[in-house]
Amino acid sequence: MSDSENNNSPAEDPPRVTLPDAEPRGYFEGESMTRRKVFTTASLALGGVASMAVVLPVVGFAVAPLFERGRERWEAVGKLDDFGSETYKQVVFTETPGIGEVGKTTAYVRKGNPEFDEDPDEYLAVSTRCAHLGCPVRFVQAAKNFICPCHGGVYDFEGKRIGGPPVRPLDRFQTRVRNDHVEVGPRYSVTNQLKAVRARDPGEFTGGIWEYLYPPRPSTFPPPSN
Amino acid sequence: MKLSLPKRKSKQGEPAPAEGDAVAAEPELSRSERRARKTAAAKHHSAEGAKDVAGWVDSRTNATGIYTALLSRHVPKGTNWFYTLGSATMFIFAMQAITGVFLAMYYVPSTTQAYASITHLTNDVWMGEFVRGMHKWGASLMIILIFLHMGRTFFFGAYKYPRELNWVIGVVLLVLTTVMGLTGYLLPFDQRSLWATVVANNITASGPVVGPYLADFLRAGPEVGATTLSRFYALHMMLIPGLIGALIGAHLFLVVKLGTTAPPWVRGTRPKGALDEQSVPAGVPSSDDAEVPVAASAAATDADPAATESAAEPPADAPADADEPDGDGDGQRPAAEPDEGEASA
Repeated sequence: MSDSENNNSPAEDPPRVTLPDAEPRGYFEGESMTRRKVFTTASLALGGVASMAVVLPVVGFAVAPLFERGRERWEAVGKLDDFGSETYKQVVFTETPGIGEVGKTTAYVRKGNPEFDEDPDEYLAVSTRCAHLGCPVRFVQAAKNFICPCHGGVYDFEGKRIGGPPVRPLDRFQTRVRNDHVEVGPRYSVTNQLKAVRARDPGEFTGGIWEYLYPPRPSTFPPPSN
Repeated sequence: MKLSLPKRKSKQGEPAPAEGDAVAAEPELSRSERRARKTAAAKHHSAEGAKDVAGWVDSRTNATGIYTALLSRHVPKGTNWFYTLGSATMFIFAMQAITGVFLAMYYVPSTTQAYASITHLTNDVWMGEFVRGMHKWGASLMIILIFLHMGRTFFFGAYKYPRELNWVIGVVLLVLTTVMGLTGYLLPFDQRSLWATVVANNITASGPVVGPYLADFLRAGPEVGATTLSRFYALHMMLIPGLIGALIGAHLFLVVKLGTTAPPWVRGTRPKGALDEQSVPAGVPSSDDAEVPVAASAAATDADPAATESAAEPPADAPADADEPDGDGDGQRPAAEPDEGEASA
């Protein structure tokens, strides 16, 4: 009596009405892909396509700068005679164009010193950005060291770390000579052996197994060959 | 005394039993009574009823029901001032949203004009200093209040079952609020803003593997630049507030749905008819035969039919078992006053 109220009858119940074989084939009682299911799936799929059509371009738009490299900038910072090999001269130039004063950065420039196996005709531009957290370091002539005021990072005359929390030497800028002037170009980072690598942010390792935690970014310039 | 149990309504065909069935009793109304009800309903929905605008809106939105669920809901004994910290945080968020909208009327998110627009709105615009001050100090206050709210939740044990998800949502809200602090800090674009952002990005970049890319995403390039400011402005104005608002909605929904917890120093009171934990060892139902029908009928007196049905189920076989010895585990549910039972584990 009350069993008949269940229309979704259990498997052992024989169908009350035996239908003839469906024509066309594919339509049968108890089919698993019902009309309702088809429409549900189709509307979800359409909605997904419509959402992706909006979301993917927007997300791509936002993450595009990760894969874009700005134009290479070179800026003259002084005549050749201005720079000696025994000490640094501080120069200011624009690293990030378009934002006025805050786009400027500071570098210490000197001529190559044979004492450090450097080419005496090349010019070195050492960034003041501390390799710990990015505070500006200062070159102290008496000690011939770069010293960071924030957390006590100390670098030697070549910019190699000799004390404090930094994890790598000071960054450098590419240099070239044009029309009797020294020009500085893109930033690059160096390993503890002063081998040039792509620019890293402060706090990132450039050597040892830790460098694999900080992969190079496509938004930075390739390092100069050395 | 034997309870007459309402039978389950059958779906088709069979006439429903009349006793204890409110739906079946409906046609029993007299004709005049039905006409009176109909007239009242028509009057309520007619143009005459529309004089009462609140009633008109309420009959279409159930606004009073929502109001009751939100603001007149039951709270446990011992609820105190510490329970207002969440509302205080939400109020500050609303204040930040409102002041932020009005600050945006003067602010220019451009590297060359941002600082000038901030000084202009601070020094020249009437009340500008006050509105900016509310936004600035409100930001710090919001962080403080969130931590106090979080501390209340932690020390009162209010994060426990079933409220774990609300704790998780709250932590996400805390993170989003700090992101608001980070992105908002850059907007004045003075030296302090810029260098705070530079350092924050350097810290981001020092995270392993994804850090460098995440920092590039935030800066929109290898260095903090003009696009960084626009990006932080968009995050600060649109994306993060939207997320925070949506998550506050989810947070509140769960608060209303799950209710609040009593402070740990308030002893819980058992609802009438609740099981005594000691008399029910796990998996072994005990019985308290003498009390069952009385308690069930007592609980059923002022309950609606649905509750009556469930409450009245246990005594169904109670009279049959009445002469059996206690605690023999005959599958009978106890529903008695717990302290009077003799089964004490």
